[in-house]
Amino acid sequence: MAQWGRRLNKQSSAAAAVALTQPPVRKTRGGVHPSRELIIVTAVVVVAVLALPWMHPGYRLLSFAVTTCLTAIVLYGMAVPFGQAGIMSLGYAGLMGFGAYTAAILSRDLGMNMWQAMPFSALVAALFAGLFGLPSLRISGHHFAITTWVMCELLRITLVNGGKFTGAATGLDLPPTGKAFGLDMDKLANAYLLVAAFMLLSMLATYLIANSRYGRTLRSIRENEQLARSIGVNTDLHKLIAFMVSGVFAGIAGDLQAYSFRHISPDLYGGAVSMYFALMVMLGGPRTLFGPLTGALIVTFLPEVMRIDPIDSRIAYGVALIAVIMLLPGGIIAVTERGYQWLKGAARRARRGVSPPDVDSSPA
Amino acid sequence: MATVLEISGMRKQFGGVVALAGVDVTIKSDEILGIIGPNGSGKTTLFNAVCGVYRPDAGQVRWNGADITGKTAFEIGRLGIGRTFQQAMSFPSLSVRENVQIAIEHGSARRDAATQRWSTPEDLLGFVGLEGFADESASSMPFGNLRRLGVAVALGGRPSQLLLDEPAAGLNDAESAELVQLFRRVHQLGVGVCVIDHHVQMMAELCRHLIVLHFGNKIADGPTEAVVRDAKVIEVYLGAQS
Repeated sequence: MAQWGRRLNKQSSAAAAVALTQPPVRKTRGGVHPSRELIIVTAVVVVAVLALPWMHPGYRLLSFAVTTCLTAIVLYGMAVPFGQAGIMSLGYAGLMGFGAYTAAILSRDLGMNMWQAMPFSALVAALFAGLFGLPSLRISGHHFAITTWVMCELLRITLVNGGKFTGAATGLDLPPTGKAFGLDMDKLANAYLLVAAFMLLSMLATYLIANSRYGRTLRSIRENEQLARSIGVNTDLHKLIAFMVSGVFAGIAGDLQAYSFRHISPDLYGGAVSMYFALMVMLGGPRTLFGPLTGALIVTFLPEVMRIDPIDSRIAYGVALIAVIMLLPGGIIAVTERGYQWLKGAARRARRGVSPPDVDSSPA
Repeated sequence: MATVLEISGMRKQFGGVVALAGVDVTIKSDEILGIIGPNGSGKTTLFNAVCGVYRPDAGQVRWNGADITGKTAFEIGRLGIGRTFQQAMSFPSLSVRENVQIAIEHGSARRDAATQRWSTPEDLLGFVGLEGFADESASSMPFGNLRRLGVAVALGGRPSQLLLDEPAAGLNDAESAELVQLFRRVHQLGVGVCVIDHHVQMMAELCRHLIVLHFGNKIADGPTEAVVRDAKVIEVYLGAQS
């Protein structure tokens, strides 16, 4: 994992920080001003995401879209420690699980609904995210990634052996969500709109974090931890905070997932699912605005669209991950963005080509 | 206000290698101090032990009288002891502006006329001679500029004392001479400057006071003119160069 991170750092450089930070974002005293392209693409994405239920997608496709949005919320959280602070973790399915089980247990024992449970899900997941992140203060790269994967598996095993409290291997059931904003959330289209709204909010939150002073502090850790410390950055503290922030995303996603599926079980939150999350975020690109959403879309929909057998699709993912690391460092979106910038530059050069040569190049 | 960094009895051992064998160094901010010595004499280890990168095996570091031995690297940075690194460090994939912005947003609590001059990235980059490079990514800059950026990042943290670890390594004579001018200006603005290097000519020009380390021991400490004529120094260090 360390090599992957380093490759990301080396090749994506300033150009890949693109959509989430830097070039298309002009910074002035007044704050952040996104580029025109970014605003247009964002508007198209927002409209497309929210308009989906009116395009008669069918039950199956819509339920895939719900899964995609839930996953993307977690991935936008991962984008904070991974994309900005540069620390890869493989525990995010577990953190989502803390959120989901908190929601389910609070519902069963205290009769809380989805909204009431949400802050608790976020808090519990954030606390455990901090715990999962603790080893990163001593070890880094793939060593750290493996410890988080192990913690995720430990959670799954604990849930399986949790008896009545966690519902063991069968898991737990949840009541219907009921009404929210005047909409019946037990209709799939409405449930989709709810998770889609949260997905867009998490996208916005990640964008704001990345473009804040705090995002810059996290990037200093990613870029050069020793230099960051020498100018007074408390790198240990900020690593843990970054993890806890991502835990909030995962916890909320878990709460939403528990109520969307209305049944949760340990196998949703094991190490294998965490690996998929890592694949998605790397595939799309952790430092770009649309990277996490794209990664979630591809990995959720591709096997369905191409009708690939589950075993084959796992092999395909492995190959895809290696291909992305080798060929598209920074992820699909970062590479697309660079391609677009290159085309723009080429178009500008072509236009200039017909005009007379520069003064500098004429003989003295 | 003049500050004093007192290092006493500093000892650091790596396995069987004694990098520092109980060294006493006093760094006063009103003079530019140079620490010279051949490779492996313990110069960088001294800085790292002061700056919280290593915990010293024995010895004490006092900053304006207060014991700061064993404080972590970021605490040292916040106290106003800034440093640069031998390897010309930067935040490579970030823009030059963002590199110094990070330093300005952290660093020490020092606020006075001197640090006012470096309170924005543009001012700071202008001061070190990197105006016009703000939007470049740090990794795309030539090495000489990377050295300047290292100094700019350290200054951005509003230090009262700057520890420069071989700031001219890898630079040509013209670039080194420019850096010497830069360090003089930094010092005139009331920031203590302590330089490690083994470029004797540059050090003799920059520093009034020299300390010579050899295998973890201090073998000379005094005014530059006296130190460069010291028989022991010539034997172990300067002699080896000719």
